[in-house]
Amino acid sequence: MRVETTRSAGVVRLRHGAGFTSSPDDVVAQAAPIVAAARVRGEPVALAVRPATAAALTAVLEETEPLTAHPSGPFTAAPARPVLLLRPEGPDHSGQTLAGRWARELRTLTRSRGGVTVIVEHDGDLDGIDGAFWTELDAALNVALTEVAATVVCLYPQLPLHLEVAEGARRNHPLLLVDGALRHNPAHREPRDVLAARGAPAPALLGPPDRRMGFDTWQLAAVRERVAEAARAAGCDRDRVDDLVLAVNEVATNAVEHGSGDAHLDVWTGPAARELVCEVHDAGTLDDPLPGLRAPHPSDPRGRGLWIARQLCDLLHVWSDAAGTHVRIRALP
Amino acid sequence: MDQRSVAHACAIPGSDEQLWEMTAAFVTAGLSAGEQVVYFDDGTVDAVLERLVDDRVPVRRPLADGQLTVVEAAETRRALRAPVRDAATGLAGLIDGAIDAGYPGLRWTGQLSSGLDRTRGVWLGDHDAAIDTAIAGRPARVLCFYDRHRFPDDVIELLRARHRIELDAPALYDDNLLRITRTAPFRIRFAGEVDHSNRPVVLRMVAAALDEALRSHSAPATLEFDLSSLRFLDGAGAVGLVHAAEGFPESHRLALHGVRPGVQRILDRCGAPFAAQLDVTPHPAGHDGPPVAGAR
Repeated sequence: MRVETTRSAGVVRLRHGAGFTSSPDDVVAQAAPIVAAARVRGEPVALAVRPATAAALTAVLEETEPLTAHPSGPFTAAPARPVLLLRPEGPDHSGQTLAGRWARELRTLTRSRGGVTVIVEHDGDLDGIDGAFWTELDAALNVALTEVAATVVCLYPQLPLHLEVAEGARRNHPLLLVDGALRHNPAHREPRDVLAARGAPAPALLGPPDRRMGFDTWQLAAVRERVAEAARAAGCDRDRVDDLVLAVNEVATNAVEHGSGDAHLDVWTGPAARELVCEVHDAGTLDDPLPGLRAPHPSDPRGRGLWIARQLCDLLHVWSDAAGTHVRIRALP
Repeated sequence: MDQRSVAHACAIPGSDEQLWEMTAAFVTAGLSAGEQVVYFDDGTVDAVLERLVDDRVPVRRPLADGQLTVVEAAETRRALRAPVRDAATGLAGLIDGAIDAGYPGLRWTGQLSSGLDRTRGVWLGDHDAAIDTAIAGRPARVLCFYDRHRFPDDVIELLRARHRIELDAPALYDDNLLRITRTAPFRIRFAGEVDHSNRPVVLRMVAAALDEALRSHSAPATLEFDLSSLRFLDGAGAVGLVHAAEGFPESHRLALHGVRPGVQRILDRCGAPFAAQLDVTPHPAGHDGPPVAGAR
């Protein structure tokens, strides 16, 4: 699948740095001054940290109440208190999906003010089998947040369980947090280069699908029909069915437009299904390892399909391997 | 079909969209003439009613008061299994009933494909002869649809030969997924779905319509596209329409009418609200489902 994606080069407004910590207390010790400085500047602060760290930061910052998850924007004024960003939901942990969701959340925060400061803390529970989740997440943040005026500081343990976590962090971050200041990181590589060695990880296998169909350009209508059936069975209302049909249609269109002519759709249904779960596969290669993460320029005729699909689904994970390119979609009603 | 001399005709739609279009036109003509219209359903009535709503034909009152009567699928199949003379008697009874109820006449149409179960449509042919007898000299019109999706070609030829009159509805384009018709000199209607398979046709149609308008002295400055029956538009199709309107000369505009909510949402995501020369007006019914589900 050659997924058309945004080619326009915008101004990079993201400041993305990595810091390395020796203990949970060190996480709080390194994060607190960054948060405090942002609040002195009047900038909103967002946190993606473990609950214990959130509680410790609350105490250090003399917050009187526990922090809450990001309330829905858009904000007319910067929230006075730090907000918690969404945590990964559902059985699949997809760094690219999480980066896309954070980008949407952070845009609502930056609309009210010039910038936003974000603290991200490594959480071993999300490592998966090899820690590649974090490499994918940081590469995806570099793409999704390019034009967002955010200062994102990611705090990683100096000695993580998986070596990949530390190595990925060193390659992904243009800046390093050293003695409380963000400095140039000579080891930084572009997302494409980082993911060339190790692409987005494949999600956990789901077992044989309940329905499988091959399709070509002239069978996209049948793909839409199949997805509509599954979405209705999962309890979606008419508008949600329409939106999910559109999302899968865009992914399937990429597969037939740029794939090798060997595209197929897998759908998992069953009486217990409370969400739409499907995958689109083709035998093509992936030019852009993280497609559809950046809003397309209005004048760009192409590259909108996957971006729209990402806005409509709860999970959209693209990965590739020797067999071709694959997209998993999960969507709640 | 609305000429007095034509009482019994057939039509052979090549696509479902053409079937809904022609059925709705036949029903609409009957309703506006004050006639009673009987539709023999076989899983198709929702699509016909949806098309009537798209055509801005009020159907709730006719359905409630019986001017538009839908014969349920099971009854349709039973009627088509009954002996021919029963069908003729039944039709004569329907005409009598319509006259007694004060209607000036009766229209009869529907989805008759279950009649194929019986000896490959020969019986349907006998049925046509009985219809001719039953409606001779009476205020009734019958339109038999033998659409190519449901009827085999050889049966269609047999049945077509039994009708003196065949109705057709021309289209600019029809690929079974999307049907494009011209409803007025500078008004084009899209029915069905636009995706990767037929998107180039739509964009060519926009370019051709603009070209025609620019060359004509009498053309209006706004090109009218009726999307009332467009159920799906993909992202690249939406971008194509928005970019086409943005590329119009300043003297001209593109107006999309009757846009359904799902199509509206993708147009919005693709920049339609910011295209200065594009007007989008929503579908009046909003399309929450078949219009009369509870009324039948």
